[in-house]
Amino acid sequence: MSAEGASATTAEPSLFAIALTFASISSTAFGGGQKASIRHQVVAKGWMDDDVFMDGLELAQVLPGPNILNLAIYCGQRVRGVAGAIAAFLGASVPPFAIVLVAGALYFKYASNPYVHGALRGCAVGALGLTLGNALELSWDERDDWVKIVLLIATAIVVAAFKMPLLLVMVLFGGAGIVREYLRSRAKEVPR
Amino acid sequence: MLGFGGGKGIIPQMHRDAVVTYQWVTSDQFAQFYTIGKLVPGPTTVFAALIGYSAMPGRPWLGALAATLGMFVPSSVIMVVVDAFWARFQASPWRAIISHGLAPAIVGLVWASVWTISRGTPAGPIPYAVTAIVAVLMLRTRLSAPLLIAASGAVGIIALR
Repeated sequence: MSAEGASATTAEPSLFAIALTFASISSTAFGGGQKASIRHQVVAKGWMDDDVFMDGLELAQVLPGPNILNLAIYCGQRVRGVAGAIAAFLGASVPPFAIVLVAGALYFKYASNPYVHGALRGCAVGALGLTLGNALELSWDERDDWVKIVLLIATAIVVAAFKMPLLLVMVLFGGAGIVREYLRSRAKEVPR
Repeated sequence: MLGFGGGKGIIPQMHRDAVVTYQWVTSDQFAQFYTIGKLVPGPTTVFAALIGYSAMPGRPWLGALAATLGMFVPSSVIMVVVDAFWARFQASPWRAIISHGLAPAIVGLVWASVWTISRGTPAGPIPYAVTAIVAVLMLRTRLSAPLLIAASGAVGIIALR
């Protein structure tokens, strides 16, 4: 289905090479660094050019699911179709799964030790700080439109305080955001 | 829990299902599993494996596998399918409208995640200060996420035992 994407690249990598590439990234890179790693690897290997990658990044961020996993799947699909997507999925998900299980086994064994307990509580506070930083950073990007700021705050409140289900949130508030964006884009076209 | 959801935005829903509805884990455990998810490489939401592990005491490994597959497979299938159509909308203005239009809801979900995680982290002046300092360091410096979490853990050993 992605024949156009495949023919545009010079070398067609093996499925094993695709899985290995994403396994090496997913087992070593953290947070935002993973996107940069994927970008560097796929462009350096000649699997796709930067524009095609950036297109995929946009798509990976819009759709549900972890951005990194979506991005890996996109890249796999572009170079080797659905089989490539599956290879990329395995490469990007199996190593983190194995690592988190090892970390979890250690957690269940040592969590009752007071030092480990203190460290874990401290780490959770750090993770909360990272999430807070992320929320602030993302909110800053929305500052130019008061309607979006209202939508953002309303979403946060209905989810945090009233536990609104995710699907309903995306339909109501995601839908409202799309309508707002559509009306704004039309307003911009009028002066032409 | 085993439905689909968007990256960071799914945290409140996971908490609702795993802590409130099914009571597989406590709020404290949830926050700590989330932390482990942030500490290990790869997608944070892989911590769903640990919830699955706790949810099925009889066969924890199966629970871990089921939770991870439930977390990753549906969204991945959507990605593959939509990608096939996405290319056709290459020049369509709808692409930007959809991705920009969804942003406020997604950012609101991230704020709800902050609130959700904070239900399971210690309260008090020291944790609040560490949270604020980590947020500022993340925004203003290039210090890596695991390093900031590890430093917070060191504070925890001293102050949060």
